Amino acid sequence: MLSLRELQRYFGAALFDSAPQAIMPWICSDGLDVESRICLYRNNLLQGFRKALALEFPVIQRLVGGDYFDQLALVFQGNYPSRSGNLHHIGEPFPQFLSGLLAGTGYSYLADVAALEWAHLIAMGAPEARPFDPKALLKFSSDSFPELCFTLHPGCRLLRSPYPVLRIWQVNQSEAEVTEIIDLDSGPDRILVRRGADDVELHRLLPGEFALLLVLANGATLGNAYDAACGADPRFNAGEALCRAVALGALTQPRVSRQSPS
Amino acid sequence: MSVGTLPTPHLPGSPAARPSTARQRLRAGVGLRALHHLKVLETHPPVEWLEVHSENYFGQHSSQRRSLEKIRAHYLLSLHGVGLSLGSTDPLRLEHLSELADLVCDLEPVFVSEHLSWSSIDGRFTNDLLPLPYTEEALHHMVSRVSQVQEFLKRRILIENVSSYLQFSCSQVPEWEFLAALVHRSGCGILLDVNNLYVSAVNHGFDGCTYLEGIPPNAVQEVHLAGHVSHRIGQHSIRIDSHGTQVSEAVWNLYRAALQYFASPPALIEWDTDIPALEVLIAEAEKADRVAEALHALAA
Repeated sequence: MLSLRELQRYFGAALFDSAPQAIMPWICSDGLDVESRICLYRNNLLQGFRKALALEFPVIQRLVGGDYFDQLALVFQGNYPSRSGNLHHIGEPFPQFLSGLLAGTGYSYLADVAALEWAHLIAMGAPEARPFDPKALLKFSSDSFPELCFTLHPGCRLLRSPYPVLRIWQVNQSEAEVTEIIDLDSGPDRILVRRGADDVELHRLLPGEFALLLVLANGATLGNAYDAACGADPRFNAGEALCRAVALGALTQPRVSRQSPS
Repeated sequence: MSVGTLPTPHLPGSPAARPSTARQRLRAGVGLRALHHLKVLETHPPVEWLEVHSENYFGQHSSQRRSLEKIRAHYLLSLHGVGLSLGSTDPLRLEHLSELADLVCDLEPVFVSEHLSWSSIDGRFTNDLLPLPYTEEALHHMVSRVSQVQEFLKRRILIENVSSYLQFSCSQVPEWEFLAALVHRSGCGILLDVNNLYVSAVNHGFDGCTYLEGIPPNAVQEVHLAGHVSHRIGQHSIRIDSHGTQVSEAVWNLYRAALQYFASPPALIEWDTDIPALEVLIAEAEKADRVAEALHALAA
């Protein structure tokens, strides 16, 4: 007698690995043949995954076309099958998959476009990035400002690409035919993805702003982040950059280095 | 095990005007999809309750979740899960269950339901509803899982029959006997999907009324009505559960038959693909009400 677990493993092999031999003897064969019955379920598996992936990466689907996207989905699913009962999680490894597949080709920019699409999707489910109360800074002396640390707000993500991915994403938001030609050498882009009150915003950052936020997000002090920002952009204006970052709600939990976030 | 009646709603911070989940006879409801949220909020269509797929609303911060919370201020909601994979021999996903519990706490749904199926093995998910073999081992397993979920959520859940395209030769009892035993041993309720019942009955050559006779009538707490399509594969015809068309006349007839067995559990129009305008769904719900009323008039 077959155990339930064995039966499920055999059926899983039929659906995921196109290896139906083990399960076939255990399926009733009256009427429609067993292979066709299994095919119905395999078709559901492939179609369900493909449709969910297309919903998560509509810009990639537009850029590569429906047929190629379907092929990508098939190969991607073979390498990264759904690992959750929630289909909204399947796209997480897709940018990395594209990066590996397209490295060294003229299409490597697609991986970064996919990364932007994924960051946008994740931000949709994140809390709104609201500025912290400036009074929170009053408890710190101005001498200690270089030692201040911040946390990047969970409603924000930082993305960097050598390609003009923000413009590529923007022109592919409508269903209308795109006539604009985007020069792939017109990058780089440094982007802050921010969960706003009702929507997700994409902000292009200056080199210094991006370096400041990235270094702060990695746990460094404001002093170190300032040095990194100046290194990235000699014209970096710390006051403006910090005001903009705070106003966007990108920074949260101000604290002096070596303290835990309050 | 005895699970008892619905718990008293816990209402801290809830708007006072929120429809109550206290027992009332509900007219037919419709499945709510994201594209209809705005229309529902703007036009307040004349339905008493709406059902959503639980997984689409996990996470507290999405605009979809916020929109649903606004809708909850005006309508009763039902949570229909598709991703718990109750019948899988993989461990139950506690993070998934926690997200569901959070949603239940937040929305105080009138029903919480899942499926008599499995969808994962060794961590790979099909995100489909696969049929179980109807064996004592599978029954023991489902009872354990359903009980675990009811314990976690502190409420009874409804288990829905799925459309199936194959049967396992090691099954020891028919599906209706398995479902009846699951109800008896776990205290769960039944969400009877009349369309799924019709599809499975045609595909496997059994009489839908035999199924209706075989399940405990008091356990049927909700009914789904949906559409399907017919495909030809070689010389064989097979019904495919598309949930993407109007309810067929054959399914309406099976629904009429079902109402002879069960005391008018609330019906829900389920439409998951090629979703039409909200008015079309409302019209189907109104038809379900007329079918039930006509039968009551005959019986009176």
